[in-house]
Amino acid sequence: MSKASLNDFFEPRGIAIIGASAKPGAPNNQIVKFAIEESKGHDIQIYPINPRTEEIEGLKAYRSILDIEGPVDLILMAVSSKMAMSVAEEVKRRRQERGDAGAVAIITAGFKEQGTEEGERLQNEMIAVMTAAGSRVIGPNCQGVIDVHNGVNTTFSVTPGALKGGVSIVSQSGAFVAAFLRWAKKQNMVAMNKLITLGNMADVDVTEMVEFLAEDPQTKSISVYLEGTPNARKFIETAKKVTKKKPVVVIKAGRSEMGKNVAHSHTASVAGNDAIYDGAFRQAGILRAYSVDEFYHTGRVFDKMPVPKGDRVAILTVVGGPSTICVDAMASRGQIRLAHFSEELKEKLRAVLSPFANVGSPDGYVDMTASVTPQMHKECIRYLMEDDSIDAILFITTPPGFMDETEFANALMEGYRSVDESKRKPLLSVLLAGNASPVCRNILETNNFPTFEFPDTAAICLSNMVRYRKYLDQED
Amino acid sequence: MRQIIEESLAKGLNRLPEEAAEKVCAAYGIECPPSVIAAGKEECISAAEKMGFPVVLKIYSPDISHKSDAGGVAVNLQTREETGKAFDAIMKSVSEKYPDAAIAGMEVQKMMPPGVEVIIGGLRNDQFGPVVMFGLGGIYIEVFRDIEFRLAPLTMAEARRQIEQTRVYRLLQGVRGNKPCDLDALCRMLVNTGDLLLENEEIREVDFNPVLCYEDRCVAVDARIVIGK
Repeated sequence: MSKASLNDFFEPRGIAIIGASAKPGAPNNQIVKFAIEESKGHDIQIYPINPRTEEIEGLKAYRSILDIEGPVDLILMAVSSKMAMSVAEEVKRRRQERGDAGAVAIITAGFKEQGTEEGERLQNEMIAVMTAAGSRVIGPNCQGVIDVHNGVNTTFSVTPGALKGGVSIVSQSGAFVAAFLRWAKKQNMVAMNKLITLGNMADVDVTEMVEFLAEDPQTKSISVYLEGTPNARKFIETAKKVTKKKPVVVIKAGRSEMGKNVAHSHTASVAGNDAIYDGAFRQAGILRAYSVDEFYHTGRVFDKMPVPKGDRVAILTVVGGPSTICVDAMASRGQIRLAHFSEELKEKLRAVLSPFANVGSPDGYVDMTASVTPQMHKECIRYLMEDDSIDAILFITTPPGFMDETEFANALMEGYRSVDESKRKPLLSVLLAGNASPVCRNILETNNFPTFEFPDTAAICLSNMVRYRKYLDQED
Repeated sequence: MRQIIEESLAKGLNRLPEEAAEKVCAAYGIECPPSVIAAGKEECISAAEKMGFPVVLKIYSPDISHKSDAGGVAVNLQTREETGKAFDAIMKSVSEKYPDAAIAGMEVQKMMPPGVEVIIGGLRNDQFGPVVMFGLGGIYIEVFRDIEFRLAPLTMAEARRQIEQTRVYRLLQGVRGNKPCDLDALCRMLVNTGDLLLENEEIREVDFNPVLCYEDRCVAVDARIVIGK
């Protein structure tokens, strides 16, 4: 049998869930529920496999994947590792007899991650049976995949119905990304495309997945939670090609780990793997996130906003203190300059603002003061958008209680959209106490205007965007 | 090249002797100061005279890896007399600290004028293969850790970015009235170090520390090349 395409994970005609449960509250019941819910409106059949039950969540339960009449491209294995070999043999048989069963996601744990010889051997044998038949395997010890556009969800922890968008996430930890998506969901902060949890990477590894996403037209930015990979050089070399096409953000766990090299030299004594990762990431144009917060937000701003054309940023604010924090955070990353305001621009801004407003002190900075209206916001953003000597706008406010949230959100968006698509630049909005103005925030996020609760986070995200621009423009 | 490395491996050495390391450097365009190996005191003095003062004397022994710690280095020797005295002092110190070390003589090296001290290093990592390191040089690199890595091979532009990522870059640009250093020469040395690792499997680690940077060139004053199968 020929080697299946990774597409089988994301565009399956049918999904079989081996180990499906009818018991409410069980993880394997949740998997079925989520799979059904996510697939609504898509041409995907869900097949629960459980020999001891007739029906699960209103669907006929099958004894074995071999009994299913229709095509099954994605098989989810969620049974005990004791059954690993018999499942593997069934997958092989199905692939040989029917030509489908190209993608297998193994949720089951109890393999190499146990650190036992037995666990490793079982994993190797199981994977070998399936890959020999041409099936591709994600896991074991993972949560499988999600494709929001295509209606695929094999997890038990990521609620279906995420906002559709261009963020794809590859993770060596299922729990880490599941938590992230739940955090982001209520405010529609992440517009999702694909999620891949890799687990033990027995077959499909992080490098192959990133390479796949580079060619995936729906993916605009790639976020990777990385613990490590046996062939780090290959990952870096692949990523270097991918970053020329789309941004790759990585959070790397294990920063404190020291090198295991036997040191005969100064070089070896300071060459911890993490120090090498750090340099290699920069060499490959990978944006390394140094905190969970930075990781979450950087990936999503690249999806929602265009890459800036340069490093000149205008700050538009109504609050002095937080803006200073914001400028400090920008300075710490050393990527951004404040834009230069022409006299003409300053005149225009002054004409719409209150006489007490601070326009251009320091250069590139506007403090509208507290006496603002939605109209003023709209006009100011429009002028900053129209000016080609500004590459990005950072807007900082405490949404005023006296302003209608919807009207306020609309004013920002109208100001932004007053220029032609080709002139669009990043607009990052810091809504201090954003949780106090959920309506405004939701409107903005749903319309692809990223919002932040803290000014330093926004400054760091914008610094990453500028860094990516510099990387794209640099000489090889 | 091949022969130099294989001879040392055959002798069971885990690093190249000084003159062999310098030959390897020369083959990769990595400039080292003029130096000769001299056996006895008189030979050292006449070598120093021929080379021109000031000079540096370094103990030459396959058994002594950390020469400074053994009292095996004397710098800035200006005259015949100073060179002779330094020879005796080194022999005394080394024979006390390493009574069993085989002493093959001394390396007489031209003393280089002060410059910005950087380190260029290289090693083979299990996961990354050959990598090149750049940073602030000297004996405190483990303390300051002002270092930046890149995977070999490097382009000139990448080497430049590697340098720019460190704090010592500011010194290289020239501070307090100092002229800027020859960054192109430094970039070439980084590129060449990458090639040296890529083309010679048996080279496990290299330390050029310090590399002295001047406005018109860069010189690797100490070249340690660790070898192994």
